[in-house]
Amino acid sequence: MKLPVSWMREFVDVAAEPAAIADRLASCGFEVASIDGDVIDFEITANRPDCLSVYGLAREAATAFDVNLKPSSAAKDRPGPASIPVSIGDAGCGRYAVALAQVKVGPSPSWLADRLTAAGVRTINNVVDVTNYVMIETGHPLHAFDVGRLAGPEIRVRRARPGETLTTLDLVERKLDDTMLVIADRERAIAIAGVMGGTSSEVAGTTTHVALESAWFLPASVRSTSRRLGLKTEASARFERGADITAPVRALARALELFEQIGAGAAVGGISDVYPRPAEPRRVELRRSRVGHLLGDQVPDADIQRILGRLGFGLTPASDGWQAEVPAYRVDVSREADLIEEIGRHWGFDRIPATFPSLHSPPREMSPAVARDRMLRRVLCGAGLQETCTFTFIEHDAAAPFADGSALVEIGNPLSEKFAVLRPSLLPGLVDALVYSRRRETDDVRLFEVGAAFRPTGETTRVAWLLTGARANHWSGNTGLVDFFDAKGVAEFIGEALGRPIVARATDARPWFIPGRAADLFLADAGGGPVGSVGQLRADLIAARGLGQSGAVVGGEIDLVALAPGVIAASSRIEALPRHPSIVRDLSMFIAERLPAADVRGTIRSAAPATLVAVHEFDRYQGKGVPDGCVSLSVRLTFRDRDRTLTDAEVQRAVETIVSALAAQHGAVLRGRAE
Amino acid sequence: MSLVEDLRTQFQTALASATTLAAAKAVRDEFLSRKQGRVTALLKAIGSAPAEERKTLGAQANALKQEIETAIDARETALAATAAPPGAVDVTLPGRLPLAGRRHPLTQVRERIEDIFLGMGYQIIDGPELEDDWHNFEALNMPAEHPARDMQDTLYLTTPVPAPGGRLATLLRTHTSGMQIRYMEANKPPVRIIAPGRVYRRDDIDATHTPMFTQVEGLVVDEGISLGDLKGTLNTFAERFFDKDIRTRFRPSFFPYTEPSAELDVQCQGCNGRGCGLCKHTGWIEVLGCGMVHPAVFEAVGYDANRYTGFAFGVGIERLALRLYGIDDIRMFYENDARFLRQVAL
Repeated sequence: MKLPVSWMREFVDVAAEPAAIADRLASCGFEVASIDGDVIDFEITANRPDCLSVYGLAREAATAFDVNLKPSSAAKDRPGPASIPVSIGDAGCGRYAVALAQVKVGPSPSWLADRLTAAGVRTINNVVDVTNYVMIETGHPLHAFDVGRLAGPEIRVRRARPGETLTTLDLVERKLDDTMLVIADRERAIAIAGVMGGTSSEVAGTTTHVALESAWFLPASVRSTSRRLGLKTEASARFERGADITAPVRALARALELFEQIGAGAAVGGISDVYPRPAEPRRVELRRSRVGHLLGDQVPDADIQRILGRLGFGLTPASDGWQAEVPAYRVDVSREADLIEEIGRHWGFDRIPATFPSLHSPPREMSPAVARDRMLRRVLCGAGLQETCTFTFIEHDAAAPFADGSALVEIGNPLSEKFAVLRPSLLPGLVDALVYSRRRETDDVRLFEVGAAFRPTGETTRVAWLLTGARANHWSGNTGLVDFFDAKGVAEFIGEALGRPIVARATDARPWFIPGRAADLFLADAGGGPVGSVGQLRADLIAARGLGQSGAVVGGEIDLVALAPGVIAASSRIEALPRHPSIVRDLSMFIAERLPAADVRGTIRSAAPATLVAVHEFDRYQGKGVPDGCVSLSVRLTFRDRDRTLTDAEVQRAVETIVSALAAQHGAVLRGRAE
Repeated sequence: MSLVEDLRTQFQTALASATTLAAAKAVRDEFLSRKQGRVTALLKAIGSAPAEERKTLGAQANALKQEIETAIDARETALAATAAPPGAVDVTLPGRLPLAGRRHPLTQVRERIEDIFLGMGYQIIDGPELEDDWHNFEALNMPAEHPARDMQDTLYLTTPVPAPGGRLATLLRTHTSGMQIRYMEANKPPVRIIAPGRVYRRDDIDATHTPMFTQVEGLVVDEGISLGDLKGTLNTFAERFFDKDIRTRFRPSFFPYTEPSAELDVQCQGCNGRGCGLCKHTGWIEVLGCGMVHPAVFEAVGYDANRYTGFAFGVGIERLALRLYGIDDIRMFYENDARFLRQVAL
């Protein structure tokens, strides 16, 4: 709202400079966008349509500077016989007033044109300019129809008919529907109620008589129509936020006064005013104690009365405060808290002493999921992965390969195709981030993200990671490139961090991974389906995102809700350290190449006595000296008893049993036995 | 010049350029070797000199020999003292750093805010990013066709998705305020929570806007909570986040779910309040929106609006992060360029 200060001074005697007025009103809730000479541009919040006017801001200034507000010049009524018949056929119109005026269309006098220009309104002709002038001054939108071009003449307020069209003043043919309220003459729509007039009754040089409309429309109705048509106007902005239902006749009288003042025309007859259900004044109770309670400051009665009085509220003393009558232009005030805000605004938030809420019950614990994610981020950073934040909505083509057999969640009104669907997985975002960095001078990338992923069944929190390039980079030598086991190691590490051990089983059901280098992840000590997967990403998926030669890209993803709803105290018990030495035996054997190490481990464990405390693979070799279709697998077996020292002989017997079991179940052939 | 003097000069030149132990040894050999040494040769030559000069020359040559031995010994001792011990490494080469990633700058700022409020006894909660109309709008005093809905251009789902609590989510939450409602529906006062998370608006991408950003919502509800408590709490936040001497101001504003509503500004640190490009020459930087919980919100969740009062606030993390890191393009946070991310603190 551009406010020419000289215009405002017609209503309020504030001598301060525009900059000082701007500062003062800014501290009362009217943010200043700019000051240009005499004109202050205020950002008016959606709750204050009354301040989309010179008079409304003058009232605020009168309150802020504690000076009198002069009455608007034309308060006088214009009695007389109704000039144009009006019928309201829909509750979306609460009041419709119209006056007939004989006019001589021409240019506006310069003082009027200059004020409109300063307020940011284009001048058109004296008749239209007067309607705009009154809107800027009073906040109430008016519209002038060329009566000579109306059928009747008659005004009917009704819903648009299906298929009805209207060419609006911006020369666009609008298709209307029956949710929209129109102003019509006897035959057709002539304006979209509260939004914009039509060209068919536009005031032109040949116009001799105008019907001046001053109405009140239901905010929701105007807003809905404006939105459906994608058409926002000065009028719709005021009506949809809430116009003053008591203003229409006053605004008409002001327009007629201006017509006469500038020689643009004169009223013919009186004002037709259809106002089926006059609004009752709103009364709101204001308790003295509640003011102090909510603001945290005791505002003296005199100041409460001064502030609310200047803002136009009528106060009647009551036992514990006042009964406030809310002026009709304050559509935003319906509760005690609203009145207290008015007091606070003009009393000054800065004067209210800063206090601190007292704590009289223990703070509640952090939500387990929040604690889990905070911990997991730190753990993964410590493990050498960089946290990323990628967009939640992504391209359809980026998401589709990771949909995992379910439909994608689509956005109905996306900004662009780049943000069309919600990510079904965090991996596509990480792929794009990896590609982005690889194309910008970074060869070794290790990323992770914790966040939501989306399915038609709902959202869930996940962690995903993606690695490529060297394991480490140091002048002393090459440490090798990342492979499947780096990705799997991250999964195992996450499981350990959250106290939920993870095991992997080969899968061919995750098509974004290379066959043979993909595994589903399961909780080691609970049943149930997979909680995630790891693998090496298909090169064509990486290439499709813009990186042709990538080298191995490995990664994985875990559903954190399935893995651990909260942080689980990992190993809450610590075992006493062994008091007796352990005996270690290494076995190297040829086994079938496709036999999983997990099976070998399982066989060893079931064949071994309880004194076998650890099995761990330390070498896997294929090539010279190993029969075709076989690998050489070496495992280290650790035996220990809690209560005594084991003998070589009994360990030897255990090893023999294990070796026989391996031979029997897997055809394993022992290569040799290292000491 | 005598032969002796000549040789002394030559020795001094040779010694000067002997900066390694090997070079010093070569000089020693050149001058003192029993077979080919030049001093040895000189001493032999003295035997054929005239007898009257022999004694003087002999004394001079022996003195020179002594002098050379002393000088070379000293040089070798000095060089040996600076030589690398066996197995020495070049300690100026880069160390083998443990691999370490960094938390994303948005996470760091978020956790910094969380930690400030954790220290004031707040509980951190989370909630769904896909919301239903009730939690995102209705319960926050924004019924359908409320003009304030225009303040937040909403992204909608083509097909609704189940949300916690049994309703169907139809939209991407436009603010974290929905979590206030969810929390109050499930818990009785007193309430002292913060709710961080991603929020979504249909904003075109530019240097200051992304259609997705991060907020931290705060809510305190109890008997007797006042606007003064809001001021005290948020002043403390500003002091701990920015600087203990920072100046703040509360400007009245409008949000449908708070009454009274305010914006918190802090004095611009770029110009100490004198006005600069950073603060659009106002001297102040807008930090967050806040206010006293609207009674309609309490009614929506079944709290007694006459008994309880409360305050709420919402902080935009990206905006704070831009200021903290001194960068001017919000898009950098979502590009995840490794060169950008590795500059933030561990």
